[in-house]
Amino acid sequence: MATTPDVTVAGLVRLCRADEIGEGRSRGFDPHETGEDTIFVLRSGGVLRGWRNACPHVDGAPMAWRRDAYLNADGTRIVCHAHGAEFLPDSGTCVQGPCIGKRLTAVPIVIDRCGDLWVMEK
Amino acid sequence: MKIVGLDSLIFGVDDVPGAARFLVDYGLTPVDVSEAGGRFEAMDGTSLIITRDDDPRLPPPPAPGCRLRKTMMGVADSAALQAVAAELRRDREVRALPDGSIESVDDSNFVIGFRVTVRRPFVLPGEMFNAPGGVVFRPVNSLGVPPPGTAIRPRSLSHVVYFVPDVLKAEAFYVNRLGFRCTDRFTATGPFLQPAGSLDHHTHFLIGAPPQMHGVEHFTFHFGGPSEMIANGCRFVEKGYQAFWGPGRHILGSNWFWYFNSPFACHIEMDADMDLHDASWTPREATLSADTSQTFLLKMRKKWTPGPGIHENGDYA
Ligand code: FES
Repeated sequence: MATTPDVTVAGLVRLCRADEIGEGRSRGFDPHETGEDTIFVLRSGGVLRGWRNACPHVDGAPMAWRRDAYLNADGTRIVCHAHGAEFLPDSGTCVQGPCIGKRLTAVPIVIDRCGDLWVMEK
Repeated sequence: MKIVGLDSLIFGVDDVPGAARFLVDYGLTPVDVSEAGGRFEAMDGTSLIITRDDDPRLPPPPAPGCRLRKTMMGVADSAALQAVAAELRRDREVRALPDGSIESVDDSNFVIGFRVTVRRPFVLPGEMFNAPGGVVFRPVNSLGVPPPGTAIRPRSLSHVVYFVPDVLKAEAFYVNRLGFRCTDRFTATGPFLQPAGSLDHHTHFLIGAPPQMHGVEHFTFHFGGPSEMIANGCRFVEKGYQAFWGPGRHILGSNWFWYFNSPFACHIEMDADMDLHDASWTPREATLSADTSQTFLLKMRKKWTPGPGIHENGDYA
């Protein structure tokens, strides 16, 4: 159901290798081992960004329709597959659907020198 | 005007192979399916039809972002079909299509079709219960749990839920023009509607909503009972699909439910054991809340058992 972390160090949780997430692709993670993916990371315009898996339309609703499926087919919009809200992948702003103008919550991520992707553990 | 229920829902999607796999994993049977889309049938021949969202043959959606392109309703016979056509022609265009169906639009901009129903009658027992003092029992030596791996298939297309911008106008269309009955109502939210040829608590539920939500909340198929529905939902989750609400049991209609996110820009539900009502039923009214929408709500956990090899605190560790 969820992708759990494999390594935790000094307040950071390792998610995966950064290059495992290709352009226009997304992946969900469960860094706090809740049993469900609580964040997702996507690559758009070459940039990796992390977002909370929590739709602003219905407070905190999970957004993917299938594990890791947070984007539309061509990878240009984040989609909440509950009621079809569409968000810009760089700003997280809803531009179509029930919560127009609202924003997803960003999750800070870091890539280390070895190319591994980490998120703050909290 | 004997409308017997939903025959088919037609969606335009941006990922046909992904949506097709989703529907097969849900339990529907693919019929005439290609890279361009196709039909996914329940046991009685009711179906979901998907096609690419840029297919020029698709009618327009009721609002931007809605992936539902058409709701096809089944009627009892050709006399009923003619009656629907005559009624709608009083104030709107009704197109006769080559397949013998007719097509028009409702007062909320949803494209609606009608045809003599494709529903195939079939006989297959539903879930039965051994209740002390009961009068109907599961036969002696028959098992309550189907063997592992048994195929679970949706039996029939059940209902669709529309977000509509003007719920009074939307209700008036289905009641006054198409002969639906209101069976129950959530105050200031909307009515559950039953067509004249069905005893199901509802085939349509209308929810008043702001314009940017105009579209579909969910649709669902009936399963053979709660055990089937929950077993099928568990398999669905294990395949990586995302549950949204449930499993649980509603109060109005009292059907078991389990809602999932879908590639159709709305939820898909699995349901079982919906109430049946006839014209003698008096509609109830309630204010929508967590307490009035479900008699109970369960939350799925990973399978667990006490015993060797299991952490001493089990899944609570
Ligand atoms: S919960 Fe995300 S669009 Fe409704």
